This record gives sequence, structure tokens and C-alpha cells, in this order.
Amino acid sequence: RDADFGALLELTPHKMAVCHLVQVFAPPAQQQQAPPFPFDSVAHHNRLGLFLFALTRSCEDFLEPPLEQLLRQLKAIDDLVNGWLCEQLTTTLAGLNSPDDLFNFFDKLRGVLTSPEGGNVEDEFLDPNSQLGVFLRCCILAFNSMTFEGVCHLLANLVAYCNSADASYDLAEDEDFNGEIEMSDPMDADIGVRSGVFDRYTQGYATESHMGESSSSLIHAPISLHNFDEADIFKAEDNPTCLRSRWQLEAYLNQQADVLEKDPSSVPLNSFNNTMTQLQTLAPELHRVQFLQYLNALCHDDYVASLDHLHRYFDYSAGMQGLFSRSLSPHQDNIVGKYESALLCLGNLHCYFGHPKKALEAFTEAVRVSQMNNDDSCLAYILGAISNLLSKIGISSTVGLIGSRYSLGNNIGLGTPLSIQQQLLVLLKRSLKRADMLKLTSLLSFDHISLAKFDLKHVQRPLVSFGPNGSTKLRTCPADVCKNLRLSSHVLSDFGTDGLSIANDNGSFSTSWLRNLSDASSSWHSSSTKPRKLITNDFDNFHFHAQPSPIPTSVLQLAGSAYLMRATAWEHYGSAPMVRMNTLVYATCFADAASSSELSLAYVKLIEQLAVFKGYSAAFCALKLAEEKFPSSTNSQIHLLKMQLLHERALHRGHLRIAQQICDEFGVLSSSVSGVDIELKTEASLRRARTLLAAKQFSQAAAVANSLFTTCYKYNMQVENASVLLLLAEIHRKSDNAVLGLPYALASQSFCKSFNLDLLEASATLTLAELWLALGSNHAKRALSLVYQSLPMILGHGGLELRARSQIVLAKCHLTDPEFSVSEDPCAVLDPLNQAAEDLQVLEYHEMAAEVYYLKAMTYNHLGKEYEREEAAARFKEHVTALENPRDEEDSLVY
Amino acid sequence: MAAAKENYRVELRAAARQLGDRCLYSAAKWAAELLVGIEPDATPSQSAAMDTPSSSGAAPGGRLLHLHRSGGSSFRRRMRPGGGAGSEAGTPLGGVSYVSTPIPDDDAFDAGADKYLLAKTYFDCREYRRAAHVLRSQVGRKAVFLRCYALYMAGEKRKEEETIELEGSLGKSNVVNQELVALERELSTHRRTGAIDSFGLYLYGIVLRDKGCEGLSRTVLVESVNSYPWNWCAWLEIQSLCTSSDILNNLNLKNHWMKDFFIASAHLELKMHEEALKRYERLMGVFRCSDYIQAQIATVQYSMRDLDEADMIFEELLRTDPFRVDSMDIYSNLLYAKESLTALSFLAHRVFLTDKYRPESCCIIANYYSLKGQHEKSVLYFQRALKLNRKYLSAWTLMGHEFVELKNTPAAIDAYRRAVDINPRDYRAWYGLGQIYEMMGMPFYALYYFRKSSHLQPNDARLWIAMAQCYESDPLQMIEEAIKCYERAANTNDTEGIALHQLAKLHSMLGQAEEAAFYYKKDLDRMEVEERQGQNFVEALLFLAKHCKSMGRFEEAEHYCTRLLDYTGPVSYLFTLLQPN
Repeated sequence: RDADFGALLELTPHKMAVCHLVQVFAPPAQQQQAPPFPFDSVAHHNRLGLFLFALTRSCEDFLEPPLEQLLRQLKAIDDLVNGWLCEQLTTTLAGLNSPDDLFNFFDKLRGVLTSPEGGNVEDEFLDPNSQLGVFLRCCILAFNSMTFEGVCHLLANLVAYCNSADASYDLAEDEDFNGEIEMSDPMDADIGVRSGVFDRYTQGYATESHMGESSSSLIHAPISLHNFDEADIFKAEDNPTCLRSRWQLEAYLNQQADVLEKDPSSVPLNSFNNTMTQLQTLAPELHRVQFLQYLNALCHDDYVASLDHLHRYFDYSAGMQGLFSRSLSPHQDNIVGKYESALLCLGNLHCYFGHPKKALEAFTEAVRVSQMNNDDSCLAYILGAISNLLSKIGISSTVGLIGSRYSLGNNIGLGTPLSIQQQLLVLLKRSLKRADMLKLTSLLSFDHISLAKFDLKHVQRPLVSFGPNGSTKLRTCPADVCKNLRLSSHVLSDFGTDGLSIANDNGSFSTSWLRNLSDASSSWHSSSTKPRKLITNDFDNFHFHAQPSPIPTSVLQLAGSAYLMRATAWEHYGSAPMVRMNTLVYATCFADAASSSELSLAYVKLIEQLAVFKGYSAAFCALKLAEEKFPSSTNSQIHLLKMQLLHERALHRGHLRIAQQICDEFGVLSSSVSGVDIELKTEASLRRARTLLAAKQFSQAAAVANSLFTTCYKYNMQVENASVLLLLAEIHRKSDNAVLGLPYALASQSFCKSFNLDLLEASATLTLAELWLALGSNHAKRALSLVYQSLPMILGHGGLELRARSQIVLAKCHLTDPEFSVSEDPCAVLDPLNQAAEDLQVLEYHEMAAEVYYLKAMTYNHLGKEYEREEAAARFKEHVTALENPRDEEDSLVY
Repeated sequence: MAAAKENYRVELRAAARQLGDRCLYSAAKWAAELLVGIEPDATPSQSAAMDTPSSSGAAPGGRLLHLHRSGGSSFRRRMRPGGGAGSEAGTPLGGVSYVSTPIPDDDAFDAGADKYLLAKTYFDCREYRRAAHVLRSQVGRKAVFLRCYALYMAGEKRKEEETIELEGSLGKSNVVNQELVALERELSTHRRTGAIDSFGLYLYGIVLRDKGCEGLSRTVLVESVNSYPWNWCAWLEIQSLCTSSDILNNLNLKNHWMKDFFIASAHLELKMHEEALKRYERLMGVFRCSDYIQAQIATVQYSMRDLDEADMIFEELLRTDPFRVDSMDIYSNLLYAKESLTALSFLAHRVFLTDKYRPESCCIIANYYSLKGQHEKSVLYFQRALKLNRKYLSAWTLMGHEFVELKNTPAAIDAYRRAVDINPRDYRAWYGLGQIYEMMGMPFYALYYFRKSSHLQPNDARLWIAMAQCYESDPLQMIEEAIKCYERAANTNDTEGIALHQLAKLHSMLGQAEEAAFYYKKDLDRMEVEERQGQNFVEALLFLAKHCKSMGRFEEAEHYCTRLLDYTGPVSYLFTLLQPN
């Protein structure tokens, strides 16, 4: 009902000012001169046009700027005509003293749009269908449909609007210190403004009463009555608070939502809430504000508030005020339903807060409701969300969560219950199909990425296996991952075909244009020595990123995610350069659109690479930079990385107490709900086992690793199991129990092979070689061949530690080989050892360094080089003492 | 006793005069009503009681026909629309002696008295700004109060007008009373210098409340009632600021008898019905003929679902005060609940003739249409009531019910939600929201609302049962949670016995025969006490018979079987039961 015309805009003094400027821009009776009167060039004329356009589109705030600010911005344009525009604007607005003046004002405006009687139709007028033309028409319509009370209010607001500028504007003009006084004592300035208002009012009152107009009482009476103690009497609001147009408000809210998503830490919870509450009191029917409040509470981990705001938003609007639509075009709203989207949001909320069970209940209900309402697109989104949930949480078995009651497996007609992974796969494929059918490009791309993630981690089995001996060969399929990643980026390239591209003009261009304009003009005022060019060429005022990008942010984000996913994939497959490359592409090309969590993930990956390849000092340097960029309090990823690095370093340095302490901290970080934070929990126990191993408590380490293996098996985390098995092999090797270690190493190797974890496989091969070596010198040849087999991979992609290890094993193989004589080929041993010593120096890895120097000393002893031997022996001793009597343990927490 | 009553009379008489003199009409009205509500002294009361044979039955003690009662309605409430509609008053605690508060003398009539008189007449004619203008240079406390009060009223009036004028496409913008800032400044200065009386403090309190400083507002209002306890409006303001019993208990109030009215009313508002009832009944001892207390007691009775008792009191009230509109919306709710169409139509007709533009009147008419099943018209009248008072809580909720009847779910949700936003403690609206979502097949989503409502009203079995039914519903099937809810319901006043039956059924479904037998037994006992029989009765007997048999307690089983024989039904099953294993 409101949408008839009231929704277009509400007339405010600011809009009247803009109307007036439009009139100047396109004067009604256009003379034939090329640029109309006040403008000296076509460019100048155009600049005013651009300014006006930006004014009607900018969405910096929800309130309209005061006249003062408008004048400041106008000055940047006005400069060429010596402030003619500003002066003209203020005098015109100040000249509007009675309701009748307003009628005349809008009457005149009409002339801008239509040719005067008898005028040439060919004459150039403002196109009524242009942005400014529509704006003008809306204003005129709004005025015409106004009641007399409305006109009076407009007039009162106009007076306040002009006066608010009068005082401060003039003060700022005259002398600087006046401005300062105003800053220091807003009360006084207020009084100044107030008395100005009173003057105006009394004037107006006098003239009008003279004319016998009773209407004036509506605006003037309240104040003129109390002239007896006007110093004491203040109105609650000096400036009329005028909302911008609906379009601008919604664009503003969209922008705020983007900010929230991008970097929640930059938005303080309470002040944002206050802003939103203020907006809500001004526009109680703009329910989207509540959605923003929900987002805000969500970003700041306020469960109760976010739940409340979510329900309130959907109660009021049933999601009809837009949720997914980034654009404001109506047809986008139609494709997403009402209450089912409430459930979708509720599910996501529970998912975010780590309540998988509740989330799943919400999603199931959402599926049901959207099926009931034939809402296919929402269904597709829900399926995507469910698969996201399933991939996030670890679910040990199908029973309990998605029980047989409404098993998703039953829907596709399979009798046997599916494992959670299989359900996930089925869901993803269904979501993909629907998204494809419904042309939901973003969802399609998202599903492709999810599928890639699935393929990467999960082991494929045939969905239906016949008989007890059906093939259960486990494997992962890198080709599928690759295909899906490629497809995800590929589908985005035709985003133009669906609604996504409509959302393009979201007002941010106009906003930043205006912001830069005022920046430039104010800086120009403060130091007029700056080159004039700065303001004559508007495009100098842009920052590059402020220009409207042809690609919507959400699309950019998805495209970026594909690159991050690629980096992760290569991490698994073990190609360091590919990881680096893809992460760098992400960090350089998609940083603008990225959310803070994704961007920090990219940083984390880069820093991890640094730590592995360049040692800890480089990594910690980078970490410090990253921490500055992402304040640690809000970013758990960076925090985790820090703990990981500290733990590794403590282990290497032999500071076991510290390592243990960090391990404990790790354990605390994860949620206590089983199935949630499963990755974090795995990592924590992996690290605990390693710490125990370093402390030479082998049986305990083995126990931890074994239980971890069971957990991973339970949650179907085969890929993680490869590394757990390798750790077990390592434990047994260190406890001088090589025979027991061999099967573990072999198992790990075969796991790695089938899951294509090349680097881990090389490392497993290396462990295998070590185990053979430990079995006696007669296995040296076999060990050597294993080492040679793994060397290309390790030297190409392995980190410092792995490389050093392989060098040591190589040297050891030679040394234990009875057929090998050191004196014949000392380089074969010494070269690798020297290389290893160098690498380990960077890592501060005492244990292995001691081993290297021990081997070196032995070699030199064989060679009879006593001086070198003593030197190596001394270094050996150094490292051993450092390891056995750790000093400055506290240092390990500092970086 | 008589002396004490005389004291009350003196105090109230003075208070009514003073309050009326300051244009605090509704407070004056309240005081005057109470004044005539004091039980007459022994001798006259006896003779009066004989005049009124009608009052013999329900009301405790004889009642008087107050011919002058109708005078109260000549005062239109202007101060706060809808403010005093629902609730007031406190209860005397036995054994605690009251603090006597001296009745303050009015300002001595000085030179300004004539001007004050003029201002008051202006005020009475609702020319607020003129009234304020007349008093502009007066410094007496009384004059200052009236000037400020007139300004406040002028601001309120303007605010109401502007609210309509400034309604935009995005809803009504929040218009504020333009005078608040100035008033606050002036009154706070007066308060600092001590040049303020309790009426000024009262005004200061409401100004502060309007500005959103609730804590300070409470303090100031308490100060006001401590120095002048007879201003009922001030008490009402305090009550509206007491949103929890903690706040209520922490108020630093002097123990005046007016406090009892306040406490009772606050208890009613906070749904502590028994406490409220106790206090009101004690107050009845002195103010035996007070309509106000009667209405409050009726409201309490209604809230405690004691419909017949409340009905009687309301009927009596209407007899003594036929033009009463206050609290009549509650009466109409009661009649609605009792489905007495004729009485409701009679009431609607009567209030319509009295004052059709009161939100209560519209609400009563809407209730009538709703009971008639004409829900469109009902919605229309609720909308009218809401137009008269946008914050009329029960109208929002009731309109939600109407929309539910009309199957207009979005509108119903909207109406309920607005009720909840006005008062987040309105459990009925939360419950309504939950019901709608449940109807729409979203039981999981509905749970949130049921949880909210049962949190606010933990002793209401209906809410727990609704929640349990959600858990039990086909899509959710969370039986254990449902059992927990039913247990809560069974432990409160579950009059319909749904909870016990369901508990038994669910337990037997889960194969927990012992528990099931326990609840079936309990249910059986309950039905026996209430002498109710039916399907559930048979079901319980059957189960118990089977259970006892399987447990080897054959005598008990036989007992149940014999009782089963009284009912037609699955006789063949009986035979199988009676066969030996």
C-alpha cells in the first residue's frame, strides 16, 4: 500500500537543495549558448552533473548531510565561478519563507522537465527518464501529494537546515579559531544557531502575522510563544533528521553488511547497534535493519541477541525485504522464499555457533517447508548449506543425527543407509543439479568448490557395493578435484546471464566519488599551493579500487575461494611452488573482495610456507605483520598459526615444558561438543603425541597416537590417518623397535599412494629407509635405494627439516654400508651432512643437528682429520647440552 | 477503626482537591473514587445497606448505591492515554504500622492567585500554551508546576499530531515531545536547589521517563510519592518502570497505606496473582465500597482463570457504575472466554453508547464480533483500537488471534510480533507466534517462541504441552525432550490431564513399561476424582491390566479387567488377557 508513491522518497530540505542545483544544471529556458550561464566550459558543466548524480546515489550514511557539508562539496566544483553556485543556493533556500514560496519553487522546477508553452520541442531539456529527471519528478510528485501540514513541516525543516549551515559555515569561512571554539564548546555554538533560528522565526512570524496568515502558527507558534525565556528553551533536535531515499538506505545497509562480512572486528558491536537502533526509530518499517543487527550479533558471537534479531526480522517481513538479493530489482526477491529462508538462516546460525544437531534440525525443516512451498531455489541453497555443515562437522555414524526417520538416503531409493560422506556427496550432487537447472551461478560455483573439497579429503567408494566382497578399494581422485575447481571458476564467467550483474551499481562508486571530492576540496582549502589540476580533473580524485568493478563482490569472492582451494589441494598433493603460487594469486588479486577470515587463511598459508622453507625467524617476522593486519583477538586462524609455530620451535629447541604448555592450550581451544572442531582436535592430539615422543615417553606417545587413529577412523578421516600411521612408525623407530614400526610405515606409504599424497609418501619412504637401516647394516642397500627413490620429491618440494632428514639418512646409509668406504668418497657423506647442518641451523633443531655433527665427527675420524673432528665434536657437544639442559625456556614464547 | 477511616477520608479529600487544583485529573479522580469507596461508619452504613437488597450475594459485605459515582466519568483522562487502564494498588501488611504523612499546605494564595486561576481555566479548556504563558513570570511552586505541566501537555498534544503528520513510507518516525529538553533542564535546576514540590518531582519523573533515563526517573518518582503518597498517577509511573520483582523489591518506599495499593497493582502486573489478591482482600477491609479494588480483584480472578467469581464482580460493578469503561475490556475478555454472547453484546452496546472512541470500547466490540465468528469486522475494530492507542498490548495480541482465524498468517505474525515488541513479557503473544509457526509446519522454528513463553509463565501447563507437542510432532520426533516438557506440565496445574496421558503413552512407546504404568495409574486416579470417563480411561485400564499381568501381579490385573468389563469395547481382548500364560 505504501509502495504506491510514498515509497519513492520523502521530500527533505537536502533534496530541495539538490533540486535547485538540478535546475541550475539544466535551466528551463535554455539559451542557445553551449554551456549555460554560470559555467565556463562543458567540462565544468558536466562536473556539476556528475556531482548531482553522485548526490542522488551515494549511500555513505542513512542521514542526509547538512547544508554545510553540501556547500563544502559544492565548492570543489564551484571554484571556477567564484562561489556563485554556493551563494545562489543559500540565497534561494533562505528566500523560501512561506508555504507559498515552496509552491512556487516546485512550480518552477516543472519547467526543467517540460518545454515552455510554444517552445521548441527540439530544445534540449533534462531527459525525464534520466537519473536526475526521475529524481526531479519524484520530488515534484512528493510535493504535490503533500498535505498542508507536510508543507509546513518541510518549511520548518528548511529553516533549520539553512540555519544550521549559516552559523558554522560563516564561522568556518571567516577565521579558523572560530571553528575551534565551535569544536570545544558545541553548546555555545548551538545557542548561536538557536538564536539564529529565533531571529528567523520572529521575522517570519512578524511578516506573516502582518499578512494575516494563520498557517504560520503551525511552524512558528511553538517557539515564538516562549520568547520570554528563549535562552532556556531548547528544542530536542536542532537539525531535522532527514532520511535518504529508500534506494540509498538499502544500498547503505548492503554496504554495511559487506563491511560486517569482510572484517567484523572493524565494526564495534555496540556502536553499530546504536546506529542501527537510531535508524530503526527513524524508519520503523525498514525491517532490514534487524537483519543487519542479526549479522552484527552473529559476527560478534552473541548467540542470544543474534537469535532474537533473526526471529524478529523474519516475523516482521517474512524475509520479503530481501536477503540474498544484492540488487534491489524486484524479480530477484521472487526467487527466494519466505519462511524457508528463515529456517535456512537459523540453520546457518546454529552451524556457526557449533550446534550441529540443531542446525540439522533447522535445515531438515527448511527442506520440508520449501518442498511444501515449491521453492526450488531455496531448496538448492539449503542443500548447499547442509553439505557445508556435514563437511564441517565430524559425524561418527549416521545414527543419531540423520537417523533413519528422515534419512536422506531413503529419498533416493537406496535400501542401505549411507555413510555420512556418501550422504554429503549425494546432497552436493543434488544441489549442483538444482543450481544448474535454476541458473543459480553462485551456488553452482560454490557447489563445485565444495565438491572439490570433498574429493580432496574423502575417499571414494562405489555407492552401491554388491556382496560382502564388493570392491572397497579406497582412492582419491585428483582429476575430479581439478575438474571441479576449473568448473567453479568457469561457471562464474557467465555470471552476466543471471541476475548477478544487475546489482552492479550499488552506490559505492558515487559514495567514494563524493568522499574524495570533499577530501580533495578540504585539502585544497588548507593549502592552496597544491596544483590546481587536483580538482580540475575529477579522475585524479579516485583511488583505483573505488571505481566500479564490473564483477560483483560475491562472484569475486567465489573465484578467490577457488584459488585458495587450489592452494589447499596442492598442500595435500605436496607441491610447494603450486601452493605458494595460488596463495599469492589470491592475496594479490582477490584481497579487496575477500572476507577477513579467508584473507587471513591465505596469509597463514604463506607464513607456513615461510616457516617450512625459511625457518622460524622469517616466519615470525611475517606473523607480526599479519597480526598487525588482523588483530589477533578476533582472528583465530592467526592465533592458531602462532601456536603451531611456537610449538614446532619449542620442540626443535628441546623446550619440552613450553611445548607441553602449548599443547594444553591447543586442547582447550576446541569445543567440547563431540564432532565439532574435529580438525582442531586432531591437530591437538597429533601435537601431544609428538611432544611425548620428543620427551621420550614412547608408550604414552604410542597410546595417544593409537587413540587418535581410532578417532580418525571413526570419523572417516582417512587422509589424516596416513600421517598418524607415519607418526606411529616414527615412534616405534625412536623406541628402537624397528620391526614394529615397519608395518606402520608400509601402511602409511600405501595410504599415501592411494590418496595421492606425494610429499607425505616420500616422507614415509624415508622413514621406511630409516627403519630398514635400524634393522642392521645388511639392509643398507635397500635403505639406500629407498632414499634415492624419495629424494627427487623431497629435494623438490620438501621443507628444511625433511631435506635435512633425507641428507642424514643418505649419509647414514653410506656409513653403515659395509661395502662403502669413507676414505674413497668422503664427499658422498660430507656433502649431505654439511647441507643438513646448514638447514638445521636455521631451524634450531638441536636433536638432529647433534646427530649430524656426530656423524661428521665420525667421518672425520675415519678420514683422520683431527682438527675437523674436534670441531664437529665440539658442535655436537654444544647441541647435546642445549638439548639436555634447556635454558631460557621462556624465550620460546617470545618472537 | 472509625478514627482511622476518618483519617483516610481527610487525607483523600484534601488530596482530591489538591490534585484537581493542579489539573492532575486522573489522579484526582482516583482519589475521589477511593474516598467514596471507604466503608461508611457504622450507623449510616447499616441503614444504607438496607437500601440495597441487590448487594446481598456475591460481594463481601453490603454495597452502596452511589448516586454521585457517575461524576467520575466527567473527567476525561488526558494525562496519559491508556495509562491507567489495567491495574493499580497495594495491600496492607498486617502488623506494620503506617507512616503518617502530613498533608502539605498549598502555597499561600499570593498575588499570583488570580493568574493561577486563569491559567487553570485555560488548562481546563485544553489551551495549554496559553496557560503556560499566563504563568510565565510566576515563581510559586504551584505556578511553576502548572506552567511546566501545561508545557508538557502542549508538547504531548503536538507530538500526537506530528506522529500522524510525519508518517512516511518507512513508517512513523519517532517524534519526541519537543518540550522535554527545556522541562528537564528547568526541573533539574529546581530539584537541585530544593525549590520543588512533590508534584514537580512527579512531572520531572515522567519527563525523565520520556527521555529514556529510567533509573533516575524511578528515583525521582519514589521521592515524589514518599513526600506526597496520594498521587496515584505517580505510583502508576513507578509501576510501569518496575519490569521485574527485583526492581520492585529494591524500591525505597515509605510505608504509607497508599503503598499497599501500589504493591498489589505491581504484583498483578508482574503476574504474582496470589500475592495481589491477598493484598486487595485486606484493603477491602477499609475501602469496602471501592469499585477500583473490585475491578482489580476481578482482574486477578480472571487472570487466575476463576471466571465465575470475576464475572460476578464485574456484573456488580456495572450495576453500581453503569457508565464505567475502565477495566471493561477485561470483562469482555472474560465474557468471551465464557462464550456468553448476549452479555457481551449488552456490554458492547453499553460502552458504545458511553464513549465509542475509547480503545477499550473498540476492543469490546471487536471481541463481540470475534465471538460471533465475524473476524473481518473484529479485525476492523481492533485496528480502530490500535489507532487510538498504538501501544494497546492486548489488542495487538487479540488481533493476532483474529488473523489466525482468517488464515492470514503473515498479518498474524506481524500483530503478535508488535505485541511482543511493546511488552516482551507478554507470553500470550509469544505463544501465538509459536502456534502459527507450528501450524505452518515449522515445529522446530516454533520451539523458540514456545520456549520464550514458557520462560515467562513457567507455571502454565498449556505452554509446556504446546512445546511438548512440537517435540513430539512427526518431523522432529524428539521424544525425550517431549517427555521432559510433559513432566513440567504434569507438575503444574494441568487441568485437562493431557500431560499425564501423553507421558504414559510416550513411555510405553519407548518400552519403559514401569514409567508408563506409573503415569497411567496417576491419570486413572485423576479421572476417577474428576469422574471423567472415556477413551483414555479404557486405554489406561487396558494398559494397566496388561502390565500387571506381565509383571505377574494377577490380582491387580484382574481388578483392572473387571473394571474394564463396565465398558463396551475390546472385549475379545479381555479374554486373551485373562488366559493363563
